[in-house]
Amino acid sequence: MALHETQYKGLLGWFDARMPSAMGAFRTHMSEYYAPKNFNFWYFFGSLALVVLVIQIVTGIFLVMHYKPDAAQAFASVEYIMREVPGGWFIRYMHSTGASFFFIVVYLHMFRGLLYGSYRAPRELVWIFGCVIFLCLMGEAFFGYLLPWGQMSYWGAQVIVNLFSAIPLIGPDLSLFIRGDYVVGDATLNRFFAFHACAIPLVLLGLVVAHVFALHDVGSNNPDGVEIKEQKGKDGRPLDGIPFHPYYSVHDVMGLGVFFILFFAVLFLAPEMGGYFLEWNNFIPADPLQTPLHIAPVWYFTPYYSILRAITSDFMIWLALGVVALAVLIYFSVSRRTIGAAVLALALVAAVLMKMPGIAFDPKLWGVILMGGSVLVFFALPWLDLAPNKSMRYRPGWHLGLLCAFAVVFLVMGYLGTLPPTPVRTGFAQIGTLLYFAFFLLMPWWSRMGSFKPVPSRVTFAAH
Amino acid sequence: MSAQQTSLPDADAPMDTQRRTALIATCAVGGAGVIAAAAPFVMSFSPSERAKAAGAPVEFDVSTVPPGEMRKTEWRGKPIWILHRTPEMLQQLAAEVDRLADPESQRTAYPTPAYALKDPNLRSIKPEYLVVIGICTHLGCSPSGPFPAGSSPQLGADPGFVCPCHGSTFDLAGRVFKNKPAPDNLEVPPYKYVSDTVVVIGDDSKTG
Amino acid sequence: MNRTLAPLFLIAALAFGASPAGAEEVAMDHWPSERAHDLGALQSGARTFANYCLNCHSANLMRWNRLHDIGLDDRQIKDFLIFGSQKVGDLMTISMNPKDAKAWFGKVPPDLSLITRARTSDEHAGTDYIYTLLRGYYRDRSSPTGWNNVAYPNIAMPNIFWEQGPREATLTRVDEEAPADGKDKPALVRVVSVYDSAGKVKATRTELEHGDPSFDYSFKPADEKAAKAVDEQVADLVAYLAWMSEPAGPSRVRIGVWALIFLGLFTVVAWRLNAAYWKDVK
Repeated sequence: MALHETQYKGLLGWFDARMPSAMGAFRTHMSEYYAPKNFNFWYFFGSLALVVLVIQIVTGIFLVMHYKPDAAQAFASVEYIMREVPGGWFIRYMHSTGASFFFIVVYLHMFRGLLYGSYRAPRELVWIFGCVIFLCLMGEAFFGYLLPWGQMSYWGAQVIVNLFSAIPLIGPDLSLFIRGDYVVGDATLNRFFAFHACAIPLVLLGLVVAHVFALHDVGSNNPDGVEIKEQKGKDGRPLDGIPFHPYYSVHDVMGLGVFFILFFAVLFLAPEMGGYFLEWNNFIPADPLQTPLHIAPVWYFTPYYSILRAITSDFMIWLALGVVALAVLIYFSVSRRTIGAAVLALALVAAVLMKMPGIAFDPKLWGVILMGGSVLVFFALPWLDLAPNKSMRYRPGWHLGLLCAFAVVFLVMGYLGTLPPTPVRTGFAQIGTLLYFAFFLLMPWWSRMGSFKPVPSRVTFAAH
Repeated sequence: MSAQQTSLPDADAPMDTQRRTALIATCAVGGAGVIAAAAPFVMSFSPSERAKAAGAPVEFDVSTVPPGEMRKTEWRGKPIWILHRTPEMLQQLAAEVDRLADPESQRTAYPTPAYALKDPNLRSIKPEYLVVIGICTHLGCSPSGPFPAGSSPQLGADPGFVCPCHGSTFDLAGRVFKNKPAPDNLEVPPYKYVSDTVVVIGDDSKTG
Repeated sequence: MNRTLAPLFLIAALAFGASPAGAEEVAMDHWPSERAHDLGALQSGARTFANYCLNCHSANLMRWNRLHDIGLDDRQIKDFLIFGSQKVGDLMTISMNPKDAKAWFGKVPPDLSLITRARTSDEHAGTDYIYTLLRGYYRDRSSPTGWNNVAYPNIAMPNIFWEQGPREATLTRVDEEAPADGKDKPALVRVVSVYDSAGKVKATRTELEHGDPSFDYSFKPADEKAAKAVDEQVADLVAYLAWMSEPAGPSRVRIGVWALIFLGLFTVVAWRLNAAYWKDVK
């Protein structure tokens, strides 16, 4: 018989003799995956993100049993779930709380990457898959937000789809194509439902598998930025590694306990979270004839929304100057003068185009471009960071200061995005936009400056 | 920093007691949590308030039915027949017994409630008014009728109902005749009188 | 780093705080929120709702038999609250045609199923807003209906709780006005308008040196007892409306306390499990 040899006994042995890849996967990814033993607080958020993904899928399935994706019935069907389906309110609140917590967890997960250089070689692909997951998550949240068919749902979708009409030549037709109608309506709702409930979850699952496999193929980073695979013992295992299962499975269960306390505290005691998790205007059914006084996207999109609104015609000159300054810096930094000259020439042309009437793009379009750029710039991080060390622990202290300043700018921009614009607030958003892009685009220079501490060959770990 | 391997317990050794106790405790508490969390999801399958309202009991005033005639109403999506039987019709019911498949309504597939079996020939609370679900017990069509005696070839000399799908026949107490496809008498729904003339179909509780 | 950041934060806080120029909304009254848990108040509010609101306003997402949650049984609901032929398992729909409503009132009266949640904003709680609105009418000859409202200027809805009795209203607005000719700073102007119980207004205007834009009001009722009775009635009504906006609210909080205690226990047990394994990692 062509059965495989197995180390397992009983029913498990029977199964393993016929499908050894199942237990093989368990060994590769859990019981024989050697992870650094010095993971800290920042390393909980990967497994928490996976848990939240599962929560959203399971609660989503149960919501779809009762939700009606029809413009005339959607709003009422959500209240039907809240009031008339036994346990329905709990499932709905899990899904709405889960959506916001997904972004909290993912932002913290990304911040860990910035702290410890997790995006650096050989993990660039892990980072890129992660950035694609982030883009899909933003799309998933955007499509899902239309489904309750409240005032915020409707007008938020209307505004964002109209952003596409800013694209020259094809814009208005593209918006019509995306909507399936002249305004956001039933056609839009149905296709957004298909994306949200079916298409993107499948894509997300595939990407998460790719993200974890790409990580496991090269091994995890750690707070010291030390490559544990460079110090292996006689048995071929990393000296500083411990099997993920049972040490980190048990560790992550503890993290899950703390997470659930926060999650369920919000769910049971403050599910609306002051109007940030469940927006007040969304308790009003969508009215195509009446725009609410103050539309803002949900809190997790507000930093990028701030950047979108900051690009006004007055601001264009500062953007142009910024582009020229960056081009000058590149010119003086690159060894081949011709490349430098080409970059400088392109930058001058771009700067002129930004201001020249007739040819220049609208500030509205530049707003869309920069908003998109603010998300896409994350993809470039592995190639922007040229520091000799991965982890902030061994870099000059002011590098961590810059990273924290970036985090503060991100949060402040987020807060500004929730408020109606005033000249003063727009000014702050403009400064924030410049700082945001400066952090990334100047990184090839600042990441190499300062005195770096020597990186140890073994991780720092205190037994506990 | 020593050049030593991270020291871990031997994988093949029996599990240390502290680990085992902690593991059992966590699984017990965690298991209880999983059951508690699963409860709302399982509950969400039960009929919602909307479904329960749609299936709520229905009131009907029997005094609106002239003698010898039948009126229909609906409960839980099913046709409910209220037939006002004349004294002649009532007399006829006792005489048909040897032509019926289950004259005493003893079959258990659609049990007839005890309060409707005080007289097994009548199958109703008040003798004059028959209240049954108008669905043939064969495969679910709604029979036609009531036909008076001699007006239907399938019924012959008996008055009653005829199902158009496969020819089952029922008498004016809803009892099925012998040798027909339908095995059971027409189902009597739960019902009660809340006044002399008003009947509530779908609720036979003693209170309220 | 901290020394340079702190003043920036202070400037930011001051800058972000200033709202765009425009009409200030009125300082809302505070609805007595302890009534939210008082079954008597909720039942009285339900009765006011069925008698006063549920003819122009619908509550299409709310079922009559949900009132069991606030201690009413089928008999009480049918006898005291349902005026038409609806059954206790039906939704609280009304028979007014929206097209007619728009023609008669200028605007379709909104459905009230979610009203306290829908009317909440960054500036005020929905409960406070509705509590202020329903008691905030004053006679105003210059308005199309002859009435106006402190919470919703030029409101189309009639004054349902006119049983407050005649009242004198004093509205105090402080606004920034565009600078007059020859000046460069916007002027800060306080306008005190006194509306008598027939709706005639006397306004006094003063220019201020300092101050912030604001809008306050006060009422002087001719019949204190009647006004207080309406305050009580509306407070109970708002309690009912808040409950109706989320009938699962009370059980959500109740279950939540137990769930969090359980999760605390689970986390402690999981923490000990983690310690049991990690004590071996050296």
